[in-house]
Amino acid sequence: METIAMPAINFAAIMPETILSVIAMALLLINVFVPSEQKAYLGYLSLIGIVVTFFTVIGGWGTPQEGFNGSVMQDNFALFFKGIFLVSAALSILISDQYMKREECNHGELYPLILLATCGMMLMASGTDLMTIFLGLELLSVSLYVLAGFQRDSLKSNEAGLKYFLLGAFSTGFLLYGMALIYGATGTTRIAAIASYVAQNSLAGSNLMLLIGMVLMAVGFSFKIAAAPFHMWTPDVYEGAPTPMTAFMSVGPKAAGFAAFVRVFVIALPTLRADWADLLWVLAVLTMTVGNITALYQKNIKRMLAYSSIAHAGYVLVGFVAGNAVGTAGIMFYMLSYAFMNIGAFAIIVLVGKKGEPNNNVEDYAGFGFKHPLLAVCMSIFLFSLAGIPPAAGFIGKFYLFSGAIQAGYIWLAIIGVLNSAASVYYYLRVMVFMYMKDPVEEFDWLKVSPAIALCLIIAVAGVLIPGIVPGYLLELAQKAVLL
Amino acid sequence: MPNDYLILTILVFIPLTGCLLLVPVWSRVEWARRIALGAALLDLVLACWVYAAAPAVIAGGGTLPGFFLWEDLPWIERFGIRYTLGMDGIALPMVLLTAFITVIAMLVSWRAIKERVTFHYFLILVMETGIMGVFLSLDLFLFYLFWEVMLIPMFFLIGIWGHGRRIYSAVKFFLFTLAGSLLMLLAIIGLYLIHGDQSGAYTFGLPALLHTQIASGASLWLFAAFLLAFAIKVPIFPVHTWLPDAHTDAPTAGSVILAALLLKTGAYGLIRFGYPLFPEAARTFTPLLYILGVIGIIYGSWVAFAQADMKRLVAYSSVGHMGFVVLGIAAWTPVALSGAVMQMVNHGVTTGALFALVGMLDERSGTRSIAAFGGLWGKAPVYSFFFLLFSLASLGLPGLNNFVGEFLVLAGVFRVSPIAACFAFVGVVVTLIYMLRLVQEVLFVGERTPLPLADISFREGIVLGVMGVTVIILGVYPAPFLDLVSMPVALLTGGGLP
Amino acid sequence: MVSLHSYLILSAILFSIGTIGVLTRRNAIVIFMCVELMLNAVNLTFVAFSRYLGNVDGQIFVFFVMTVAACEAAVGLALMIAFFKNKESIDVEDVNLLKW
Repeated sequence: METIAMPAINFAAIMPETILSVIAMALLLINVFVPSEQKAYLGYLSLIGIVVTFFTVIGGWGTPQEGFNGSVMQDNFALFFKGIFLVSAALSILISDQYMKREECNHGELYPLILLATCGMMLMASGTDLMTIFLGLELLSVSLYVLAGFQRDSLKSNEAGLKYFLLGAFSTGFLLYGMALIYGATGTTRIAAIASYVAQNSLAGSNLMLLIGMVLMAVGFSFKIAAAPFHMWTPDVYEGAPTPMTAFMSVGPKAAGFAAFVRVFVIALPTLRADWADLLWVLAVLTMTVGNITALYQKNIKRMLAYSSIAHAGYVLVGFVAGNAVGTAGIMFYMLSYAFMNIGAFAIIVLVGKKGEPNNNVEDYAGFGFKHPLLAVCMSIFLFSLAGIPPAAGFIGKFYLFSGAIQAGYIWLAIIGVLNSAASVYYYLRVMVFMYMKDPVEEFDWLKVSPAIALCLIIAVAGVLIPGIVPGYLLELAQKAVLL
Repeated sequence: MPNDYLILTILVFIPLTGCLLLVPVWSRVEWARRIALGAALLDLVLACWVYAAAPAVIAGGGTLPGFFLWEDLPWIERFGIRYTLGMDGIALPMVLLTAFITVIAMLVSWRAIKERVTFHYFLILVMETGIMGVFLSLDLFLFYLFWEVMLIPMFFLIGIWGHGRRIYSAVKFFLFTLAGSLLMLLAIIGLYLIHGDQSGAYTFGLPALLHTQIASGASLWLFAAFLLAFAIKVPIFPVHTWLPDAHTDAPTAGSVILAALLLKTGAYGLIRFGYPLFPEAARTFTPLLYILGVIGIIYGSWVAFAQADMKRLVAYSSVGHMGFVVLGIAAWTPVALSGAVMQMVNHGVTTGALFALVGMLDERSGTRSIAAFGGLWGKAPVYSFFFLLFSLASLGLPGLNNFVGEFLVLAGVFRVSPIAACFAFVGVVVTLIYMLRLVQEVLFVGERTPLPLADISFREGIVLGVMGVTVIILGVYPAPFLDLVSMPVALLTGGGLP
Repeated sequence: MVSLHSYLILSAILFSIGTIGVLTRRNAIVIFMCVELMLNAVNLTFVAFSRYLGNVDGQIFVFFVMTVAACEAAVGLALMIAFFKNKESIDVEDVNLLKW
């Protein structure tokens, strides 16, 4: 019998993705048989899936796997980011159940969607072909559109979903057009091949098509990582989406966007470095400044964290602009610590919120500190970490990013970043001022902390404090994961 | 001294351990108070023991001359960050002062704090760890870490238990200090990279960084960043504005620690890091420091003169007194620098005591307005005696501690810059005037509004008595102190012994 | 024989029309159609390049883009229906609960 020659498929390269998507499909089927009040079990199942996947990620460390004819590459860089995605997915799932029960929106599809989104992020991180990256991005985005609009009966959530969808699809157009032009200029969609073509034909800054393609891709990615001036959707979507999903969206997809952004720009277009570094310099400054300054005026804490997440994208861009090993490792370290601190903060918001979240303003936290000391301490740790105050992981991360920038000679960028960081402290402090220094307007209800959320908080606090005090091991890992 | 026992680490982390012990007794206030005080006392005893044992082993240990205790452990190897602590004759008095003032601050607030008591002591202990760390760390990264750690508790102390515009003051304090220190962080990173590129060994350790050759342009910027961070803490004239607010609105313990300890960290940073790391840049900035120091002295004293609130008056007097420290550092001669270190300790004790005294009045009568009091001498003689003693110390009466420090600074500065010394002397005179006015108004003028004022309690008597004895001893017999300081100061200034 | 340039210019024009449409139109469905127009302009670019360069990568890409666009349409329309149910409008002017 005649056999068909199998193409060079290497399943080891997409092991984590495979496991996650299989589990996601299985959960979709199981979901049909699970009664509405027991959907939490789906959450536990998906957590098991995530833990299993996490082990394959750990197992793959140090042995790069190339698969599918070179369109995916699971190297340390991809694996580190996969770790970040899994952490953010797991933490978000842990805080989902209680929230969804409270909002009476306990649909089982939530968990498969989160897993699929995670799968998409992973593809983005390990994609070495523009096509793979695009597919990963779309898998992620489509899942997120649904997750943002997950509360069908809440108008806010609907709006968030719709806005995210329209602007997300819009930005996809730019990204795609950029990819098309780069394909046209170089004749390939493989990242490595693009790089060698550009190098061989010395297409540096002179090739208009390549340049336009690069700029359009930068615009597309900037939408995804919510960099100013392409950040307009972020606050609305973050405010309207279900809080656990906001937590998820503010961390995982952002990290995935950076992973793809870095891989495409650093590997494929190193010869255009001078051009894109200038472009990103401006983006970084704008993003930090706009994010921080607008965050100063926010009353709603979700919205404030949304703007703060814009600002954080700006800090990470600083590391990107630096473009050296320290800066790139800084991006990874920072995104990981950001996952812990930001989702941790959102976990507290989930706990404090009442049905429909009428009490999401900073003022509603008045007196929280002494009513719920433990939770308030957790919140303070997260906020201090976000503000970049030692000994928290956020500080080490910022330290790392700014070191990279200074090493690369971007002194002014580092100074602007640091001043921004100082300004940002104000709005984080404001929450603490309300928590500890103002008397409560109305008495807090007794908060029910589900074991899942408690676990999430413990993990998050550990993830903020341990790398903050003894960062050596993680820094080592991040250094080994650098692409350069 | 053998390094095997990690004495400095123990010194730094006893308070933090005390914090952990507070957690199980969180709601049992009496226990919490005692445990906290116990931890602070233990730290004080250890510090005293180190002092007692120090002279015997004063040479040796470490890679920097003059340090007699030295601990060095790997921490974040990738970055060349090490856990390096060291103690010399300048750090030791600061550590003693820290341990001493912490105990005082706890005793002062023994009854004044009625709500969230455990948290209050918890924060004081965290702060003690931070301040000890700042005085002892010799790795710039570690130093920065402790530098930030000591901010947070003070923010909460002012914001939770403060008076008046407490939140405004707390946030202002935090933002001012943070903005400066973040720029310092950039300068630290810059220095680290310059040193690393030069020698191939990337490290944050002070001993290695001291040998860095820096282009003069770069070193000016780096020094400016360090100077800004430290100047905000000291505070030096144009960036002092957070201080009166923070002092006035802080609770008594907060004011005492703020004045006695936090301000010292800025001056200490200049002595330990700023000047030695960038000697040439520092020389360029010296005229500016003279001017700002003198302005600080005169301006602080002048504004203090106009205050109606006693706490604000003492706060502004701090600006004036710290101006002397700045002058002493700027002159950078052995005599002036010894004077500056001495003045740091003096100011810590004297101003700490004055804040405590004002706090006691506030506790009893609910007001701090000078105009509300009068004739205290007849009503509360013991209290009045101490009030007089510390006021006289503050204005620099010979025989009391401040006189020695100010005299040394003026003598040292006069040799280098007579004009600055003359102007500073004007400040001394103004200090004399407003302090005497304060004493007269509060203690001697006839009673204005009848206020129920009890004399000091036993606990307060102990606090004030111990501080009073310190003030007198330092004033009458400062030789042991000056001996301790003389060697490191001589090493720093590169000259012979004074 | 139509040259590559003509295709590229045409797709650029289509893309711009789509972009302008997204920015100016107010009806969510029309906006979405404009996005589709942008995507199809990109497809045209891909196909033209593929033909010009003589390799099939571009055409494969187009298949994926079409698939993805279909998914987006499904999800997008579902979101619009959910919104319409609550608000009885799909005019983005009415998407105003959150600050735009």
